[in-house]
Amino acid sequence: MAQVEAPGPETTDRELTMSRAMVEAIRSEMEENEEVFYMGEDVADYGGIFDSTQGLLEEFGHDRVMDVPISETGFIGGAVGAAMQGMRPIAELMFVDFFGVCMDQIYNNMAKTAYMSGGSVSVPMVLTTAVGGTYNDAAQHSGTLYGTFAHLPGMKVVVPSTAYDAKGLMHTAIRDDDPVVYMFHKRLMGLAWMPAPEGPKTPVPEEPYEIPFGEADVKREGEDVTVVTLGLHVHRALEAAEELAGEVDVEVIDLRTLVPLDTETVLDSVRKTGRLVAVDEDYRSFGVTGELLARAAEGALEDLEAVERVATPDVPIPYARPLEEEVQPGVEDVVEAVRAVR
Amino acid sequence: MPSVSELQEMYEQAVTARRYEERLQEEYLEGKQPAFDISAGPIPGELHLAAGHEAAAVGVCQHLRDSDVVTAPHRPHHVAIAKGVDLRRMTAEIFGRRTGLSKGKGGHMHLYDPEVNFACSGIIAQGCPPAVGAALAAKKRNTDDVAVAYLGEGAISQGAFLESLNLAGLHDLPVVFVVEDNDWAISMPKGRVTDVDDGSRRADGFAVHGDRVDVDDAVAVYEAAGEAVGRARNGNGPTLLEVQVHRRMGHFMGDPESYRPEADAERAEALDSIPRLEERLRAHGVEDDEIEGIRERANDRVEDAIVWAKDQPQPDPEEAYEDAFTQQPEGWPERPEVAATDGGER
Amino acid sequence: MAAVDAADVWPEDAEDVEEGIVATWFVRDGATVEEGDTLCEVQIEKVSVDVVAPVGGVVERGVEENEPFDQGRTLVHIEPG
Repeated sequence: MAQVEAPGPETTDRELTMSRAMVEAIRSEMEENEEVFYMGEDVADYGGIFDSTQGLLEEFGHDRVMDVPISETGFIGGAVGAAMQGMRPIAELMFVDFFGVCMDQIYNNMAKTAYMSGGSVSVPMVLTTAVGGTYNDAAQHSGTLYGTFAHLPGMKVVVPSTAYDAKGLMHTAIRDDDPVVYMFHKRLMGLAWMPAPEGPKTPVPEEPYEIPFGEADVKREGEDVTVVTLGLHVHRALEAAEELAGEVDVEVIDLRTLVPLDTETVLDSVRKTGRLVAVDEDYRSFGVTGELLARAAEGALEDLEAVERVATPDVPIPYARPLEEEVQPGVEDVVEAVRAVR
Repeated sequence: MPSVSELQEMYEQAVTARRYEERLQEEYLEGKQPAFDISAGPIPGELHLAAGHEAAAVGVCQHLRDSDVVTAPHRPHHVAIAKGVDLRRMTAEIFGRRTGLSKGKGGHMHLYDPEVNFACSGIIAQGCPPAVGAALAAKKRNTDDVAVAYLGEGAISQGAFLESLNLAGLHDLPVVFVVEDNDWAISMPKGRVTDVDDGSRRADGFAVHGDRVDVDDAVAVYEAAGEAVGRARNGNGPTLLEVQVHRRMGHFMGDPESYRPEADAERAEALDSIPRLEERLRAHGVEDDEIEGIRERANDRVEDAIVWAKDQPQPDPEEAYEDAFTQQPEGWPERPEVAATDGGER
Repeated sequence: MAAVDAADVWPEDAEDVEEGIVATWFVRDGATVEEGDTLCEVQIEKVSVDVVAPVGGVVERGVEENEPFDQGRTLVHIEPG
């Protein structure tokens, strides 16, 4: 399909929640291409626990919006097989924390097939999954695991933070010939029962458009400190930057995709500010924030004055509100980290 | 047949569990009006209530003792109550309090009471392999303890369950898998996710005993579970026991259930096991005022637990950093500190 | 001027519910919409309902985002244009 220049969000005054923008892209691809279908638990009549397939059943029926047994190894592996036959399945892992049930199919099969086959077999599928905490769902339902998926070669990893990006990244994901893990943050979806913060609801053009992978988005320009983040924490970082306005001039970068990672945009900013704060809802050790600091050190060491990272400490996500609030990186944590590198 | 006193015990556990879920529902929804906001109100997180599942809990657990192991899924309260879990501390855990079973770290899907060998978890069929492991330990140690894994009918297509059946059958382990068939895996009716109506037939492929209780009746469950638990305790191997129950509330609080036909909810109401159990009591000559007395005792116990729990302190934020390890390494977990190339000055 | 009242979208089985809430507006005040466009999502108890423009025109919101409303309120006015 031809690459279409993405129309900017300013071309419409229709605003969508992230879930609706994501669904709009899926609907459009399903209308265009008979080979696209969706599989997951509670994706048909329920419309996805996090509204990821809301309204698709009515248009496409149970053959293309397939409820599946609670058998993640079976149906995600099944999506891999259908993709190897050239179809373009989208499989949904209800919560990313459930990856433990089915990681063999994801890691050893979906992600490695292109390489193991010497490029002769591709797996053009999308694995969608809900990530993130903030609503006290405790240790087995609150992870983001961005770093886990990005660490393992062979999967492209996408993390939208706005409705505009959610739509464009979904179009790109479905059209991509490789497996794409599309990680949507529950708190950003715009669910009636889990109110989103200001920010993810954006104008979304009605026509299809792609957002290329590997292009970070500079959400706010600044001269003093670079904050690099993704997902929910894009909005927290922007809030922190606003709070610091007049005191510290903060640049905020939304990575949008982890694989591929737009290192150049990060390094350009770090060369300008000399100060880097990496912010992530995932675990602190061996994860995204460490990777960002490493790349900054490798690529811009001479410009680097100070670094800091804000991430979830290395404990399973606790249940009680004061405990989850303690480990969940907040706006104030970002403010403090920015002040610390100044 | 259960004795009259056993019937009374089962009834008391069943009405305690029912009352508990109804009261938790009230507490949970408080502060979630007019908009249902999952982050608001006195009980944190998701809440999966088991009203309508009581027969499966009391009919099986009546045969168990404290040293027997039970693993339950994300919908655990009724089983926990029937197994004898400390109700005050369980309730405190659900309210996210420091004196809860897990100091507020676990929550309603992650209740552990080692005193009575109860645990539950939030991922489908996850409790099956650990139950097999507990049975293996009992066999190796030559005790006559048994293990019971509870799961829903939606879980019987999950690998962890099927692999557990095979392992249990292979080693003749003292384990009973209790499938609570409430007809719904969230929004997916049983017929959409498996072609096998009678889930206990899964046992055939593993040379394991399979049995199904078609009626939502604590006494019928008691009979079938008596055989299954007896078989396990006597060293005669595992059983897969499927029990018909009914889901009287949504999958989780906040579930709009727009996928569910109204007739189905009415059926769940009509086939409720608790009135059936009351009739059994009356047939055994138990007077109405005795039945009322049991109900009052159950209500009082539930109220006591809720009042106690709500009066407990919230955990201190610093406690978030404790307990990830039993032998926690010094200085762990690593906490933020500024790293600067100018020698670390802040 | 056309309008959508809360009563128009109130679910039948939620008659005893006192208040609903606007979860999300998909158009800004003063935006021009076409007939059939989705204007907002309201939540009445646990049920979410999409409010659709009955005619094309310019939107004037009657209730703000996250604001509760009762059955007597007008959710949105549309000035046909």
